[in-house]
Amino acid sequence: MIAYIIRRLLYTIPIIFGVLLVTFILFNVVSGDVSDQIAGKAASAETIKEIRAEYGWDKPLFLSWDSQFINHLKNCLTFQFGRSWSDRELIITKIAQGALPSLSLTVPMFIGEVAISISLALIVAFFRGTIIDIMSVFICVVLMSVPFLSFILFGQYFLAFKWGLFPVYFWPDLPLPQYVALPVLIGIIAGLGGNLRFYRTVMLDELRNDYVRTAFAKGLSSRSVLFRHVLKNAMIPIITQVILAIPFLFLGSLLLERFFGIPGLGYLMIDAIGARDFQVINAMTFIGAILFVVFNLITDICYSIVDPRVSFE
Amino acid sequence: MNGRVTLKIFFFFLLLIIIIFLVLLFGKKLNSPAKADPNDTVLYSTHGAKVRGLDPGDIGDVTSSIIASQMIECLYQYHYLKRPYQIIPCLAENMPTVSEDGLVYTIKIKKGVLFTDDKCFKDDKGRELKAGDFVFAWKRIADIKYISKNWWIFDNKITGLDEFRQYSKTCKTSADVDYNTPVEGLQTPDDWTLVIKLRRPWPQIVYMLAHLPTAPMAKEAVDYYRKDIINHPVGTGPYKLNRWHKGSYIEMVKNPTFRDEFYPSEGEANDATNGILADAGKKLPLTNRLVTVLIQEDPPQWFLFLQGKIDVSGIPKDNFSEAIDLRRQLTPEMRARNIKLLTFRDPSTYWFGFNMEDEVLGKNLPLRMALSCAVDRDKYVELFTNNRSEAAYGFIPPLMSCYNANIKNISQTSYNVQKARKLVKEAEQIYGSKLPRLVLSMPGTDIVFRQQGDFLKRCFSDAGLDVEMDYMDWPTFQNKIKTKSAQIFALGWVGDIPDAENFLQLFYSKNVSPGSNNFNYSNPEFDQIYEKAYVMSDGAERDALYKKAEEVVVKDCPAIFLTHGVAFILTHDWAMNIKPNAFAYGTSKYRRVDEAKKAAYKELLRKLK
Repeated sequence: MIAYIIRRLLYTIPIIFGVLLVTFILFNVVSGDVSDQIAGKAASAETIKEIRAEYGWDKPLFLSWDSQFINHLKNCLTFQFGRSWSDRELIITKIAQGALPSLSLTVPMFIGEVAISISLALIVAFFRGTIIDIMSVFICVVLMSVPFLSFILFGQYFLAFKWGLFPVYFWPDLPLPQYVALPVLIGIIAGLGGNLRFYRTVMLDELRNDYVRTAFAKGLSSRSVLFRHVLKNAMIPIITQVILAIPFLFLGSLLLERFFGIPGLGYLMIDAIGARDFQVINAMTFIGAILFVVFNLITDICYSIVDPRVSFE
Repeated sequence: MNGRVTLKIFFFFLLLIIIIFLVLLFGKKLNSPAKADPNDTVLYSTHGAKVRGLDPGDIGDVTSSIIASQMIECLYQYHYLKRPYQIIPCLAENMPTVSEDGLVYTIKIKKGVLFTDDKCFKDDKGRELKAGDFVFAWKRIADIKYISKNWWIFDNKITGLDEFRQYSKTCKTSADVDYNTPVEGLQTPDDWTLVIKLRRPWPQIVYMLAHLPTAPMAKEAVDYYRKDIINHPVGTGPYKLNRWHKGSYIEMVKNPTFRDEFYPSEGEANDATNGILADAGKKLPLTNRLVTVLIQEDPPQWFLFLQGKIDVSGIPKDNFSEAIDLRRQLTPEMRARNIKLLTFRDPSTYWFGFNMEDEVLGKNLPLRMALSCAVDRDKYVELFTNNRSEAAYGFIPPLMSCYNANIKNISQTSYNVQKARKLVKEAEQIYGSKLPRLVLSMPGTDIVFRQQGDFLKRCFSDAGLDVEMDYMDWPTFQNKIKTKSAQIFALGWVGDIPDAENFLQLFYSKNVSPGSNNFNYSNPEFDQIYEKAYVMSDGAERDALYKKAEEVVVKDCPAIFLTHGVAFILTHDWAMNIKPNAFAYGTSKYRRVDEAKKAAYKELLRKLK
């Protein structure tokens, strides 16, 4: 297993290099120069030249030991992303400050979403073909069809503004659980449709297997069949879905953070996109890629824990 | 299905529902107002953009300027109540003494003014402001290694400062720049006297000395915080920074070492009857804390205002009819909430500019006039601004003293489809064949820009013109303008100072792109008038030159001048002393909250429910 992990870690080197190359080409070659934008409304050519020197944009793109690409590699691999050009703040500080608010929103949202979806999926799978199952599919389709923004507007208008059950917007005097409660609730409900349908399909696939009928024929209780056999065998797709969603928790929720004023990484990202702040976008993309690769590896290791048939050879 | 399992799942869901219910209850309980200090008065406001940084030397956006201006002061400021806008001393003892040739300004600094207490100073106690702090701040803006956005203020204006900038270029790093290098035009004969020597007369300097980037900087603060000075404003103002949650919330508290400054006792004729002079002579600031909530989306901002959590608000486009009726008055619902409406002209002009270096447009006056005559400005104002603007035919906004009420007739570009069609024929003769398709660059891609595009396309097509819309993001648009590659572009200008020179410089030939003259307009007659007026002091003679210069421009038609802005502001009745000011930012020190009325609103909300 250790050899497998080392091998997988070695595989990540070309993947990370590829990510760095693609982001570099996208943000430094394709998207053009932003130095005149940094310089402000009445900038002289000399100021623009100085900005290019400050950010190292006057250096060759590739063919030099001091090229922009080599510096890009060095900076990313040492997590020295420099300063955002839109507000001159250290990017790593911005990310560190935004991580907690984002996680306080996305983690409860994620746990709630997974717990409710899997539990409901078990129920509707058992009641398959009945009115409960049909209704659940109908509701899921409705939930999936409604745009995410509508959930936000509806929740903010009725639950916060009209009925006063939650704060409308971030207010630092309030404890954290309170101002994230409504966005978490909205996130759970909005994501329920898709998740429930996915887990229901997973459960139904398992319930149709011969070993389930055999287990019932042998006289095992429904509890035993459900939780010891069906759920365990359904774990592979569940683990894939759940673990691969974890990296995205660190990246926050763009719309929820913006509408509820949660100063997280989603907010940071959307602001950076709006301001064309490529340094910030690049740092977030790089961190996202690292997390994705790491959690992919964790997923593979978890497969072997839940399913002994999976081999590392 | 086994009954026990069903029961377990049922209980699991019951538990979840209970948790959600508790969260709801928890939310409701905490949503009620916290116990407040009865002596604590707080002003709540909102802005739609994030604060990019609080270092005055590099400030370039309105939101950051508004926040920083509550903590950082300049030599001069605008009188809060008097109109037309009048400059009065702030950190200066009095107005500057100007030499006869208009080249030397001598300014006395108030004694005993302290920087706010901060750990950058010895024993954490703010020291006294000195004239040298202005010299340091302005050298810093000149220092090219600092890369300030605000060098345009001093560029080619102060004797020796451009040479200091040249010297800074020779330094390898920012740390190598020696700020003790003398600048001939910035002298401090003593700690409270500042002498400024100019290269040529620059009467607008007084307005610039009320502009935030010219505020003094304590060298200790810059040395201590270095690049993080953006997060640590150290000023002499009435407030100091207390809490800042980047992107969503910023709180300032009263600066205990703020100098003695008092609420004005004179204003406009109706200020006394409006109750705005009730606090005359009171020591400033009138409120203990300032809280600014930064909200980029309209719905939460509107909800917070109606809940009474924000004192003053603009009116989101989608909520306009909820607030304002067809007679431009408050709706009964707003009046029932004791909300007040304030309207004022802002110093803005918006246009569709023509690139005068473009082969098709630049040499074809009838074509430019045809495009201008084709646009139904009144319909545009109604459709896209909720009538919150006025049709424009020139670039000087109506609130300027030199505004020409006859500019519509002079420009001869009022909406007239028949005239536009005739002009198109003339334009085709000049061009030599059928006109090619023109491209209008729009600085946005959202639905409103596309609706505007559809409207304009129809206007142009009615006049027989083929104009294609090119929608793009703001940075791409800006890049297109700076590189002279846009043919027609939607843009505007909001005046920084109450002097129309601020608008005239947009047409000066030496300012062509990447400078501020995005039209790449060049007319020697205009340049001559501009250069003559530029060095003149405020007065009727200069106003006449400004009007003449505008006439020259509108006759050349380098743009479809579209609208001038009119701002609509809603305030709750507890927000006192609110008088809109189009140029000053640091006005929160004059504002006050009537806590009794604020408490009554909570009761009113219960009744309205």
